[in-house]
Amino acid sequence: MEKQLIISVSREYGSAGHEIAENIAKEMKLKFYDRNMLDEIAKKKNMQIEHLKKYDEKPRNIFNSRKVGSFTNSYEQIIAEMQFDYIREKANSGESFVIVGRCSETVLKGNEALVSIFILGDKEVKLKRIMDKFNLNASDAAAKMRRHDRNRKQYHNHYSDGKWGDSRLYDMCINSSRLGIDKTTAVIRHCIEEIKTSER
Amino acid sequence: MIAQVLAVVIFATMFLLIVTEKFERHIITLSCGLLTLILVFGLAMQSTSAIIETLNLHSIIKSDFWYTSGSGGESTSGINWATIIFIFGMMVMVEGMAKAGFFRWLCMRLAKLVNYKPVPLFITFMIMSFILAMFIDSITVILFLAAVTIELAKLLKFNPVPMILSEIFCANLGGSATMCGDPPNIIIGTSFEYSFADFLTNTGVIAALSMVVIIIYFYLVFGRQMAKSSSQDIDFSSIPEPKEAITNKKDFIISSIIFGFAVVLLITHAQTGLTVAFIGTAVAVATLIAAGKYAFELLKKVDFKTLLFFIGLFAVVGGLEQTGILEKIAALIGDISGGNLKLMVAIIIWLSAIASAFVDNIPFAATMIPVIRSLAATQGVDLTTLAWALSMGTDIGGSATPIGASANVVGTSVAAKNGYFIGWGEYCKSAAPATIIVVMISMIVIFIRYC
Repeated sequence: MEKQLIISVSREYGSAGHEIAENIAKEMKLKFYDRNMLDEIAKKKNMQIEHLKKYDEKPRNIFNSRKVGSFTNSYEQIIAEMQFDYIREKANSGESFVIVGRCSETVLKGNEALVSIFILGDKEVKLKRIMDKFNLNASDAAAKMRRHDRNRKQYHNHYSDGKWGDSRLYDMCINSSRLGIDKTTAVIRHCIEEIKTSER
Repeated sequence: MIAQVLAVVIFATMFLLIVTEKFERHIITLSCGLLTLILVFGLAMQSTSAIIETLNLHSIIKSDFWYTSGSGGESTSGINWATIIFIFGMMVMVEGMAKAGFFRWLCMRLAKLVNYKPVPLFITFMIMSFILAMFIDSITVILFLAAVTIELAKLLKFNPVPMILSEIFCANLGGSATMCGDPPNIIIGTSFEYSFADFLTNTGVIAALSMVVIIIYFYLVFGRQMAKSSSQDIDFSSIPEPKEAITNKKDFIISSIIFGFAVVLLITHAQTGLTVAFIGTAVAVATLIAAGKYAFELLKKVDFKTLLFFIGLFAVVGGLEQTGILEKIAALIGDISGGNLKLMVAIIIWLSAIASAFVDNIPFAATMIPVIRSLAATQGVDLTTLAWALSMGTDIGGSATPIGASANVVGTSVAAKNGYFIGWGEYCKSAAPATIIVVMISMIVIFIRYC
């Protein structure tokens, strides 16, 4: 039986981290989880998917929510915790998969099957990618990038002891702007194969 | 001057840190309390007596802390140990009741009594929420009510959101009726040596009157929606029997007796002379003895973090009190009102209500107690009138928004975890007008009865 492998991919906005993670999953024939896990959570808990998507991977708004003991009415936090439970459940079931974001490197910390990766990029390259993808001018693209990265950082740092993007938190950090999407995918795949081989 | 600035800075930092939730709130208040003792009292004021007065440990060993002759003791300042011991006792008792299945049984029993019909269920649960919250903390009341409401809603195919919103409101309203219903009332009662009967005959009357209006209000707002819920195609046999909720019959009977015992002690404490600290200790000891080998397990479930939160909070407020800041605020309210009692009541009730709608009402009430004490002394007005205004303002104001009171947070959290997301708009649409109605009723009753 193939040994379990969980690849956690964290990424800067515009670094193509999502695309790279998807490519790795395809090439290694692994299940791929990102926002799509919300469909399954919504179905399982009989919830409206729109509610879940609205608060997905967002930091808690300190002005419109409060915590009382173990209860919070921050929907961002409730949905984040549902996703963390889902990720743990998948990991505990022995399934191999690639997961994007959702603080997964912290949620699965200590799991022997976990390989955690952080994908960053040069500002200019990321901006160009955002401008092309969303048909935006440079200032709008820069604002969008700043907003998303700020949200991801706040979201991550709320649930993790480590800082988002801090190299000490991940097994591997790579700048996708150096090699482009395909070669970065290949390098990461190579490293993962090496890790798998060395652990056998 | 330095002491005053430091006390205000520590207090403001504490409030800000509580809002950000970066650290657990008991860590925040205890750290800020410690800073108050060291920086404000130790370095700036160099006053050992201020430290001793704020720690207030000497009050516990006095006999009137446990038993009073009924003449009404002096009001206390600093850490309010009576509040902390009473809340601890009630927490232990409530854990014992929950373990035995009391709350779930009560909810299911009443639901069965009204034949699971949505509109009667809607009204019955509002009344049950109000009555339970008079004696038990609103968090526990809503935790069980919301969970059973959602369970019944799924089985009976109705939308539970209107019921949860009305239950939350009624729990907060019920809490205002008695001395032990809501933490601000416990703090007010123990600070000014008021009895359970004092609250019941003052805020209790206002709460009961408001409850009648609120049932009509929520019926007008949600009644049609609830009535539309059809009871056709429902398999009533799938609904759990009330007795299934009871985990252990012996524990259930004992916990019910202890609860009854606590209610009787509270209602009669002005006559018996037993203080709330004594009652809290008695119900905790009784529950722990009854729990036997499970006593430690029960103790572990007690929310000690909340008790520590209170200790730190009282120390920080003690800093504001000892440095005279709160007297300045009292003087400001006195100046604005020009000595007019009606205006003072209006300021206190609306200021408390608006503040409590957005920030935790416990720190607010703890801060306002020395303010109204000073206001009554300097302006020569009746302290009890101001106390009832503060009580109704802080207890009811919190109902207006999803973050105003603990019950609101727990209710909306339980709903969301079950797939019912209640946004600010949906929440405030029904709760904010209801809050305004009750604050208006409270103000008018206080004007007519006391001013």
